[in-house]
Amino acid sequence: MAEDHREWLDHLDQRSRAKQEEFLGKIASRLRRPRLTQKPRQPYRGAPDFWNSYDGSEDDNLQRFTRNFEEAGGYVIRADSLQEAGRFMTEKALELQAKRILRHDRPALADLGLESSLPEAKVQVWNWNREASEDWKARAAEADIGIIMADYAVAYTGSIAILSGPDKGRSVSLLPAVLFAVIPIASLVTRLGEVLTAFDRTGREGLPAGIHFISGPSRSADIENDLTIGVHGPGIVYAVLVSG
Amino acid sequence: MSAGKNSKRTVQERAGLALNDDFLRKAVRFTTERLRSGKRKAAEEHGNWDEWRERGRQIRLHTIAHLDYYLGLFADQARVNGVHVHFADTAEEAVSLALEIASKHAAATVVKSKSMVTEEIHLNRALESAGIEAVETDLGEYIIQRAGETPSHIIIPAIHKNRYQIADLLSEDAGERLAPETAILAGYVRKKLREKFLAADIGVTGCNFAIAETGSIVLFENEGNARMVTTLPKTQISFMGMERIIPSWSDLEVMATLLPRSATGQKLTVYMSGITGPKRSGDADGPEEMHVIVLDNGRSLQLGDPEFQELLNCIRCGACLNACPVYRHIGGHAYGGTYSGPIGAVLTPALNKNVAEWDDIAGASSLCGACYEACPVKIPLHDMLVSLRRRKVERGYGDARETIGMKAYGSLMSRSKRYHGFLRLGRLGQKLIVRNGGITLKLGPLKGWNRYRVAPGLAAEPFRERYQTLEAELRQGLQELPPEIAERMRKRIGSREKSAGGEEHGGRSPGVAGSSGSTLES
Repeated sequence: MAEDHREWLDHLDQRSRAKQEEFLGKIASRLRRPRLTQKPRQPYRGAPDFWNSYDGSEDDNLQRFTRNFEEAGGYVIRADSLQEAGRFMTEKALELQAKRILRHDRPALADLGLESSLPEAKVQVWNWNREASEDWKARAAEADIGIIMADYAVAYTGSIAILSGPDKGRSVSLLPAVLFAVIPIASLVTRLGEVLTAFDRTGREGLPAGIHFISGPSRSADIENDLTIGVHGPGIVYAVLVSG
Repeated sequence: MSAGKNSKRTVQERAGLALNDDFLRKAVRFTTERLRSGKRKAAEEHGNWDEWRERGRQIRLHTIAHLDYYLGLFADQARVNGVHVHFADTAEEAVSLALEIASKHAAATVVKSKSMVTEEIHLNRALESAGIEAVETDLGEYIIQRAGETPSHIIIPAIHKNRYQIADLLSEDAGERLAPETAILAGYVRKKLREKFLAADIGVTGCNFAIAETGSIVLFENEGNARMVTTLPKTQISFMGMERIIPSWSDLEVMATLLPRSATGQKLTVYMSGITGPKRSGDADGPEEMHVIVLDNGRSLQLGDPEFQELLNCIRCGACLNACPVYRHIGGHAYGGTYSGPIGAVLTPALNKNVAEWDDIAGASSLCGACYEACPVKIPLHDMLVSLRRRKVERGYGDARETIGMKAYGSLMSRSKRYHGFLRLGRLGQKLIVRNGGITLKLGPLKGWNRYRVAPGLAAEPFRERYQTLEAELRQGLQELPPEIAERMRKRIGSREKSAGGEEHGGRSPGVAGSSGSTLES
């Protein structure tokens, strides 16, 4: 069956490559020129120059991020250390009576110390044993709280950026009802472009399967323009800015 | 479904239905106003909006002008990422590819995030007839799918439904009575769709942008359903219009600046996701198999057409809908196609290449240009509407009576004697039908106009005949000010010059007072 499937996919790909030539040839002929195979010079790439020189101070960035994230319906907390962040999360978890917590497998998130501060709750670590038989998506679906560490944060748009990986499942920031995102202040930048241009520098080989920008709680205004929070993704999102 | 039903009626009849639906009109006006003022605020706050628009336009122009290169690059890079890329010339080809993939996986359920392309190719209908359940997961889309309708707005698909109607639809779905409260209704959909996301065999998405250099696709959304669809099912199929390409992630910054602000007034949508291939080895979520189906379906017809190529620059933000005075009155369904508003009025006939069948929606515009002003990539939609109307006439689909009328008008207007003669006759003839200075008769050529308005009668003494006297009066009036007014002004200026200039009038310099004085003296 698996072999059969592989064969079918190969067959599809062969068909597609033949079709591609025809498809792109049609485009070139409509544009009245031969097929273009050399990279054309791109006169205008990315944001305008005046924008690229815009750079906020750390204070500006903190203020702007906080304002934007709160305006979008999120909460922003400042902590001087991971331990302090952990204490805050413990309080919140107790207040929300969270029974299941799922976090990414990052050393910094272990330093929050939730496993010991919340003995009543079941705190799990995403894909910690790399065990293929474990259904981690189901673990995320049943979790009350998901905890991640942001790879970047953007002040101007009030966004958290998270890159996927074996220890950083996409489900953790998506399926639980509540999301805590730890943001090291050093990873906070001013413009969206600072993060995006980094992906161009990394290039295709260096990109993970999923890059997600999260700018507040899940929302919808589809019913009579009435704002609803937490439609599919987390309805409560804490951005925890940690110094040092 | 309803597109087929709709196309049998004219845009006027469909608009008539919409105009009689009081809630629809109010809801459309309210929503478009909210989105429009949100956009205005966001654009102002961001600043240099026209420079961003121009940059967006340049990037789109460049990409479309080199589309074969960038699309080829995207396909090659996406394949290296492990994506199965497919090309479809027509809607039928795209649908049959999707059905083949679904049948190979013996799929029972497909979860979909919002995608206008899948609306365009009527994917749901095809899946249902193959016995596969297709579930729309965007809250608005889920609602209208329950009602068996199509989206009436690109961004807010269920704009035409109120919460009582929605409560009825969802109560039927739930098998119990749900209160008409937003939180309860949305909560029901969340719970119901959770199960679907986790159980579905295939996730289907659209594609806001595809990044050529890294073979990634980018999705913008607020609810999180597109993330669900690209994270949970084992197989993912993403549909993209072939023009959806941009070269790089750097260019995405410009699009991410323009799209959410133009669509909803947000600085960024709650989620912006870049998907680069299926899950990697070691990943515990994300699709195992990922397909991207690139669709032409009439798009390539716009290439090389100087009047319509820019249509492919569209980023589907819906700002032109919200700005359009016609859309704001009649709503989306009156346009009869998948895409509504000014962009739909141009895109539908352009993609369908059947000017005759769709001609009347090009008429559903006042050509005021608000769509162009609103467009974040500066597509001259109002010019395109004029071109469409012209092409329709050139191809012989014009109205015979209108053609005769226009010929007669041309013949009258080209000779001033004929024109004057006609007017004189008209002034005599109209005595039979003019009441209180207006004509209300709903007969012949006046029928359409007088349905909602009163045509003015011809003036007893036309402007052209009064012009000579008027001109003379005007000239004299300018030369001679009534003497008492001239005297008063002279006195006033005299006293201002004496009072050591400027003191009394704050920042105004004495030079200005002096110069305005000198004009008076002449």
